[in-house]
Amino acid sequence: MRTSELTVSTRAFRGLGAFLWTEVLVQAHEELAMATSMMVQAVLLIFVWILNPGLLGVAFVGAILYSTFTMGQRVLNEAAYVRIDHKANDLYLAGPMSPESYFLGMAGGILVVYIAPVVVLGVLATLVVHFTLAEGLLVFVLAAVVWLFSASVGFVFSTFFRDNRAIWAYSSLFFNVFGVLPPVFYPYRLFPSYLHPVALLMPPSAAAGLVQAALGITPLSSSEILLAAGGLVVETTVVFLFAIYWSRRTVRGN
Amino acid sequence: MATVRSEFPNVPTRGRALPSFLIVGWRWISRNPAVAITPILLPFIFLYFLSLISPPSLLPLEIVGAMLFTMQNIGSWVLGDSAYWRIEHSLQDMFVASPLGRIRYLFGIAFSNLIAMSPALLILTGLLAWAGGREGTPLTPLAFVVLVACLAVLWVLFSAIGIGISSRIRTQREIWPIGNLTFTILGMLSPLYYPLSALPPLWQDAARFLPTTYAALLVQGALGITPASPDQMVLYAVLLVTCAAVGVVIMLRLYRWGEL
Repeated sequence: MRTSELTVSTRAFRGLGAFLWTEVLVQAHEELAMATSMMVQAVLLIFVWILNPGLLGVAFVGAILYSTFTMGQRVLNEAAYVRIDHKANDLYLAGPMSPESYFLGMAGGILVVYIAPVVVLGVLATLVVHFTLAEGLLVFVLAAVVWLFSASVGFVFSTFFRDNRAIWAYSSLFFNVFGVLPPVFYPYRLFPSYLHPVALLMPPSAAAGLVQAALGITPLSSSEILLAAGGLVVETTVVFLFAIYWSRRTVRGN
Repeated sequence: MATVRSEFPNVPTRGRALPSFLIVGWRWISRNPAVAITPILLPFIFLYFLSLISPPSLLPLEIVGAMLFTMQNIGSWVLGDSAYWRIEHSLQDMFVASPLGRIRYLFGIAFSNLIAMSPALLILTGLLAWAGGREGTPLTPLAFVVLVACLAVLWVLFSAIGIGISSRIRTQREIWPIGNLTFTILGMLSPLYYPLSALPPLWQDAARFLPTTYAALLVQGALGITPASPDQMVLYAVLLVTCAAVGVVIMLRLYRWGEL
């Protein structure tokens, strides 16, 4: 009994590399889905470009963060599709691959493929905003944290669906409401001030607020910075650990 | 050998398609409330975003844009439904074998999705009446008739586009990206959420090939948002109907029914 527990704990990420590469190959054939992943960002950038070009810098930063946030939607769709439509998760998890490798491999594979358009956005943003190295690094780190949060949320949510057809309706609702309504693509000054603490507790808008503060667009007090950064770290850690726990639990449940 | 008609002489074979699809549309939104919210969501999110970044005087134009965009998105829903029913449930074979023709099938799916979209359209009409009154572009009876007529033309056109494309889709995975990509690009190319004059010249030229552009110009003209003479209004109406007719004919040629 102790031996088997030890085996599980030391091989928690068994099969991660192989499944990540499998997902890369699968996702690389989804050119249409890749193009679709940039649709909302492109539309909002067009709106800003035509109607208020002065906000283009903020909108580009928002587009980068939103893009990593919506990778969670992709994880949700993929995990649900593999489970409901193909029932392939049973096949994958009946093998030596661990449940956490299944979750992280899928999220990582999606990240590897979907990062390309985000890099293009990053280059365009650099041309508009002229980041310093520190600001560029801040955007990179915050985008990575937002990705980890949304991938974890997406994976956990995917296990609740029983019908493929309902997935995108609910996932669009979640990712658009949390990614577009709060000040991600626009400055905090356009958002009601009494709702600032709420926005600073939502990962995409918290990350956007921190970048806007670093760029001098949105003045944030030290307590607001602490709220945004602390909230982002705590929420991401909790959700990520829960996703790991949930991936193990759902395998046992199946 | 007995025929279906001789065995079941009282089974109605005509005239029940639209009520049946009405129930399908209603059941779908009543069982999945998020589905009723989601089609409303995207135009409203765009509207919310635009209200933050653009002058308040553009709000009526943007609400009209949201209404036309919502109606255009019915195409994406028609595409999704018909492809899903065909691929996942093989249901289209049953319809093909039934007395229901392909045009009535198209209108049935379009009608069921109109039911699902109607809450969004009603809310947007109320918003337009409020914002139009505030900004000096009231929703007069004439403007309302023009708006409804334009929405009706777009409903037929984009439903035909949706079902035409759906009949060529092979896997479920393609449904959502193709629908989303097609209808969002078409919506953004047309001046739905911004005046045509605000677009770069090349984009303006491209937009003039799209029927949604003329629907937007017609409604904007009728509301007095973008001034247009009566002659221009007639021209926009003719171009809208012509573009829509050409689009429907092309899509009906693309649309596979019994030869799957």
